[in-house]
Amino acid sequence: MNRLWMATSAMALVLLGVHLTACKQSSDPAASEDIPIGVYLSLSGANADFGVTTKNGIDLAVEEINAAGGIGGKKIRVIAKDTRSKPEEAQTVAKQLATQDKVVAAIGSVESGQSIKAAPVFQEAGIPMVSPSSTNPDVTKQGDRIFRVCYLDDFQGQACADFAFKDMKATKAGLLYAADDDYSKGLAGFFREHFKKLGGEIVAEATFQGDVSEFKDQVSAVAAKEPALVFVPVYYSKIGLIAREFRKQGFKGPLLGGDGWESEQLVQLAGETLEGCYFGYHYDPEDADPKVQGYIKGYREKFKKEPNSLSALGYDAVYAIKQAIELGGGPGRDQITEGLRKIRGFKGVTGTFDIDENRNARKPITMLKIGGTDLKKVKVIQPGDIK
Amino acid sequence: MARNLLVMLGLLAGCYGFNFVMAEFIEVVYVDYINLCGLAIILAVGLNVINGLAGQFSLGHAGFMSVGAFAGAYASIMLTYGVIESGPLSFVSMGSFLLCLALSGLSAAAVGALVGAPTLRLKGDYLAIATLGFAEITRIVLTAQDAIGGPTGLKRIPKMPLLPGSEKWDGGTSTFWIYAFVCLVILLSVNLQRSTFGRALICVRENELAAETMGVRASRMKIMAFVYGAFFAGIAGCLYAHYQHSVRPDDFTTVRSIEVVVMLVLGGLGSLTGAVVGAVIVTLLPQFLRPLEESLGLSGLSMVVYAALLLLMMLFRPQGIFGQRELSLKLLRRLVPGGGKESRP
Repeated sequence: MNRLWMATSAMALVLLGVHLTACKQSSDPAASEDIPIGVYLSLSGANADFGVTTKNGIDLAVEEINAAGGIGGKKIRVIAKDTRSKPEEAQTVAKQLATQDKVVAAIGSVESGQSIKAAPVFQEAGIPMVSPSSTNPDVTKQGDRIFRVCYLDDFQGQACADFAFKDMKATKAGLLYAADDDYSKGLAGFFREHFKKLGGEIVAEATFQGDVSEFKDQVSAVAAKEPALVFVPVYYSKIGLIAREFRKQGFKGPLLGGDGWESEQLVQLAGETLEGCYFGYHYDPEDADPKVQGYIKGYREKFKKEPNSLSALGYDAVYAIKQAIELGGGPGRDQITEGLRKIRGFKGVTGTFDIDENRNARKPITMLKIGGTDLKKVKVIQPGDIK
Repeated sequence: MARNLLVMLGLLAGCYGFNFVMAEFIEVVYVDYINLCGLAIILAVGLNVINGLAGQFSLGHAGFMSVGAFAGAYASIMLTYGVIESGPLSFVSMGSFLLCLALSGLSAAAVGALVGAPTLRLKGDYLAIATLGFAEITRIVLTAQDAIGGPTGLKRIPKMPLLPGSEKWDGGTSTFWIYAFVCLVILLSVNLQRSTFGRALICVRENELAAETMGVRASRMKIMAFVYGAFFAGIAGCLYAHYQHSVRPDDFTTVRSIEVVVMLVLGGLGSLTGAVVGAVIVTLLPQFLRPLEESLGLSGLSMVVYAALLLLMMLFRPQGIFGQRELSLKLLRRLVPGGGKESRP
């Protein structure tokens, strides 16, 4: 028994040693020669894909900036922390970034739940935080140092309603969404409100809860009312199953969705059933803009993979901070916060945007049409278009 | 009684000093770890009464915690701001905070009684499944309530109240409040184990039929165990909400319930010391492995080590670190060489 105890204590001591030395290294005072930027993302766990993709975009942007001589001669140093896909862990790592690593700005997270937990920590510490892709309206309401570079769910829902009513000439729409998911429920709500305001009618609504894979009842309830189109704001893992069920039950109209549809596997999961359907997206991958094409080329070379919107938003978040440092006059926490507030007409991969008085990005949404294995841009909706 | 009050007062003064040391001299990151440990201890010690002493295998601790968290956070927001909306954080007043804590504890305890009563006839696995179901139902019901924020839950939960002389403490007073309740729950549990009620709970665990024959009302004892454990889970929930400044129904999934059970099993089911040590290990291990993960570039390593540790534990010491023993002065004396002899007459 004694031996087991000794082995356990020895292991604990080794771990403690590793921990303390690692902490010592990170608080090295010589490191203030560069610009420390904290990143907290789900690098492991259920949502690891979100975090790793975003981190790739961030790394690409930082590599480009540092290769070009940094910002004002100072190089960016990224300190990445893994939230293990747990919201409460986001708060713990936010504290580490704020006090141990003494970052001047933070980027994170993809999941709104994590961003909301980490925001008060950065706000209290006076550190500006830029969320690359948390679309929930509550995120930037957590404090006057909390920013984001993606559009919001309300704009996304309204833009889809606008597109459905004006461009697809639909007056009768159906809704199918997840009632226990904030993203899905939120988008459905904003779509419903705006579609009715424009003069359209929501003829059928159906919801599901939890991780289900059977949508027969919901689909038949919606299809029976014969809407011209159905708005299905769900994540990509569900849309394939839902689209198949719609086609199986003989519904021919198009389906419409938000950025949650995006995935390399989208066409693969849905087969031909999503042919002719539309979804709102952060940028147009076919855009001839050298900025967009340069980013896509750089990403393919570095990671041997296709970029997506999450990596593009991570990439834009870094460049937004770079511009904020230039506008604010230096890499201090207050200077970056001031600089971020002043961003107007920022040209990013995900479109040209302003940071508005609520610290959200006012930016366009790109409607893409699914055809075969291709995605084709059909319309770009500007924030000013929605009335 | 008077002695206990005195001990509690002494401990409160100790917590105040502890918070002072934390705020003045210790890095925020470590203060965070210490606070998280405190929250875990309250949960584990509370569950120890249900799972350890009374032997009722409950997997619903996160459910009780969520009830307390939402009740306390909602009351706190309403008493501090009067309305649910976003904005800068402020401190909740001392009176309101104590009221919120009481509300959290009592609402969770009431739910504990509600769950305890109908599931009394269930044993072992069946009870575990029933409590698991209860926790999931609670989570889904909370998710559906738009008045408390729906799936994103409550935000802008005020900071824990200031104490006399604490205005300049950067870290706030969380450590004081959390450890005050750690002391309270441990003190109560120590006394409970030695009381008639505690002995009766152990009787029920060892042999329900024999306990009934001896005049112990097993059903009542079981409900009381649930009420006691749920009360402290509710308190932990309220403290957690004020510590994190936001709560979501998804913070209280089955994973959290299981985590608390793991703390108990690791420390030794039925041992108060074991519950405390298990809570500390389970909370700190993933954090202490983080630098290792980062330097090796292996995200997710902590989960592997965590699982391996549990596996080894079950193979070599299935009764947990402490078994059913407690750390007491007697045991300490035995560990010190020669110390044991002196205590003998």
